Amino acid sequence: MEGRDSSSKPCDLLKKIRDFTGSLLVDLCRGRSPSISLDRYRNYCTDPSGKCCCSSDLNKGKEILSLQREGHVYRLDVLLRVLLIVQQLLQESKHGSKRDIYYMHPSIFSEQAVVDRAINDICILLKCSRHNLNVVSVGKGLVMGWLRFFEERRKFDCIKSPCTVHQVPVHVEEVTGIMSIAEYILVVEKEAVFQRLADDGFCRTNRCIIITGKGYPDVSTRRFLRLLTENLCLPVYCLVDCDPYGFDILTTYCFGSMQMAYDAKFMRVTEMRWVGVFPSDSKKYCLPEQCLLPLTAEDKRKAEGLLRRCYLQQKPQWRLELEMMLQGGVKFEIEALSVSSISFLSDIYIPSKIQGQLYI
Amino acid sequence: MEASTIQSLCKNLISFSIQRCRISEDLCRLSVVLKRIPDYDPPLVIISFSDTGVGSCLEEFRNLKCPRNSVSDENFDGVLSITTTSTCDCEIFHYHLNLKETVALRKLTRLPSTPKNGAKFSGTEVSLSTCESVDELIAGITCFLQKILILKVPKVAIELVVERANGRGSGYENLLLSNEGILLTLPMSNVERLTSGLEDYVLKHGNMFDQQCSSCFLSREHLKVGSGVECSTESTRSTGQVVEAVIIISRLPEPSSPSCFRACSARTEVLYFEDFTPCSIPQSSLDGLTSIDWKSYGLDLRTSVLDGNDCAMLEWENLPPHTHIDIVIHCYPQQKNQGYKHLVKKAIKVALDSLKQRYKGTLLSAHAIKICSYAPDLARTITGLILSSNDTEFQKECCSLLGMQPHVIGVEKKVEDCITEKIVAIIETNDKKGQRHRESAPLLFDGEYIHEPEFQDEYEGEDGYSILDL
Repeated sequence: MEGRDSSSKPCDLLKKIRDFTGSLLVDLCRGRSPSISLDRYRNYCTDPSGKCCCSSDLNKGKEILSLQREGHVYRLDVLLRVLLIVQQLLQESKHGSKRDIYYMHPSIFSEQAVVDRAINDICILLKCSRHNLNVVSVGKGLVMGWLRFFEERRKFDCIKSPCTVHQVPVHVEEVTGIMSIAEYILVVEKEAVFQRLADDGFCRTNRCIIITGKGYPDVSTRRFLRLLTENLCLPVYCLVDCDPYGFDILTTYCFGSMQMAYDAKFMRVTEMRWVGVFPSDSKKYCLPEQCLLPLTAEDKRKAEGLLRRCYLQQKPQWRLELEMMLQGGVKFEIEALSVSSISFLSDIYIPSKIQGQLYI
Repeated sequence: MEASTIQSLCKNLISFSIQRCRISEDLCRLSVVLKRIPDYDPPLVIISFSDTGVGSCLEEFRNLKCPRNSVSDENFDGVLSITTTSTCDCEIFHYHLNLKETVALRKLTRLPSTPKNGAKFSGTEVSLSTCESVDELIAGITCFLQKILILKVPKVAIELVVERANGRGSGYENLLLSNEGILLTLPMSNVERLTSGLEDYVLKHGNMFDQQCSSCFLSREHLKVGSGVECSTESTRSTGQVVEAVIIISRLPEPSSPSCFRACSARTEVLYFEDFTPCSIPQSSLDGLTSIDWKSYGLDLRTSVLDGNDCAMLEWENLPPHTHIDIVIHCYPQQKNQGYKHLVKKAIKVALDSLKQRYKGTLLSAHAIKICSYAPDLARTITGLILSSNDTEFQKECCSLLGMQPHVIGVEKKVEDCITEKIVAIIETNDKKGQRHRESAPLLFDGEYIHEPEFQDEYEGEDGYSILDL
């Protein structure tokens, strides 16, 4: 799998942490106000000219943390506390979750997002990915289908029973021996849809691998999906709700998230195709009125925000569908397609979309 | 010049004496003598103001007006007896100046002069008699002279004597004797004298004591002193204006007696002088004072009010316990039209900055105090990063950087304290530098908010994932 270079090994990271601590100490001992420079990353902007450099994966400016602003000092305090925990994890070759870290100083951290940002800051500072810090997530993603792989020494043999649901492995970098006879990978937004496909035995009749991140995908799910696409070179399709949030989840799989833009290049799957559901599907499949919900003001604001993202210039058809959603003023869920038949999704919708190449 | 009470008239006469002494190049003495004549009913008090300064050409008395209120009318006949001579004069001149006389030409009566018989000296004595309470007069004049002492006017000694005559004869009581203006022989600038004067004033609890209060101040080290001088520049309309300001912050262990309570009050009486005379603070100077951004020095000015005597009283919020601030401002020469607003503001700021510079941790801005509160936590974590590292070489390097003996590195508290001290020192330096730049140069990036508006979309969506992403 493509990933960070060898300088992200624990011993190298420990050296980087010591160097960082050392340089901080040198500043303090020389009476210099320390300033910590953090590269800033973004994977999209709202520049309509198309002349931006968001797709370059390079840092877009720097952020300087100093002792001059209270907000910076608090951020530095949190960063150092998390760094100390990371140093201990790496020295003892142990793993900890973001939540574990939060509970070490809950009154100081005040919310999980504060810890998350500190972890991102440390990744930027040490030029590594989160898993390199031995900070892991339990993983909420699910996978099934024509796939076999090893995580450390544990074998995950989905092929024996392609409709059995497995957890996405937490230590994605430990995954080896990936083998598959699938024809494509299908990513579904929602667990309910994933479960429906499992119940319908979709993978028995279709040679595929199905993955869900249960809403906004976590790091493990995205890294695992990326690992599969790199190893298996299979087409990837994505099925999301026809609403701005579904669309946002689609872009998160495809382009990465702004929050972890510094690591987007290791997690995104740009070749992903959008298989549905499209705004035009409501007419095409004659969805009854009661399944269509009007877009709220919040939905519209979100959709307009999405339309301004520069990376959508690479996906003009996606943009077009989103514009249609805004114009139509309605949204609907994937499950709305089951209104005529409970297994419509498995029997007709997905197979017809893929066989008929009705994806964009 | 309006002298509304006998007290005010006395203050004016003392000021005139001081000015005559200042002009003189010789050592001078100013004596204020109150003599009580009990045989009168009500008892009469004769007050004389005598100085050995240059002789008077009576100019200063020209605008002096009679105290105008019912009590003063009854208690004072309006007549000043003036005796004066200059060194070059051959005789001593005597006058009667009737302040109650409305016709200007009849105000001054020249009396027969006294020949000096070739003696070379100068001096002036002004005396008046009044039926006002001697105790009140003493209290008022004492308070006024105590303030003048702050100036430590060069080469001028000041005394206040009360002569009490009764059936058994007469007795003298020396209420105040100060020769420090003479004793300070080293050449000192006015602001240095003002500083030394305010120090004495504070140590003697407002010059109420003859010596420094030994129960409150074991030494002058209890005082934090800062001073500032601002002069008008040539580019401004009037040149030659000078404002000197001295600020003293005193912190006491605990007030030991009621007379020491003043020393730890959260109120500051701003001692204001114009042209070497204590006076009420004009509005422009008060504006200069209140327009200072006190918060940037960690001081919270609750109110500034003028008391009955037009003295500015500043009341501080959140002053540490048993802490008192004394402020003296001296502006000269006297300004008739323009005020001293900007010069007062600048001089006070220079004094505050000099305090900050001289005393570590003093007058940190509220902002810096907040940032300092993070120092122990930052130091503890940095210590943790050093001490929990499994690289002993790294630990040794850090130890030598901190200037510690290798065996001390294991003592967590010492390392922590050392780092805390260094962080605080840097925050203090930043605060000093930041004073000038804070308003004008905001930082490029604002790191205060975790949910930045430009990423709002993203965080909204991923919040759920963040929390659940265990």
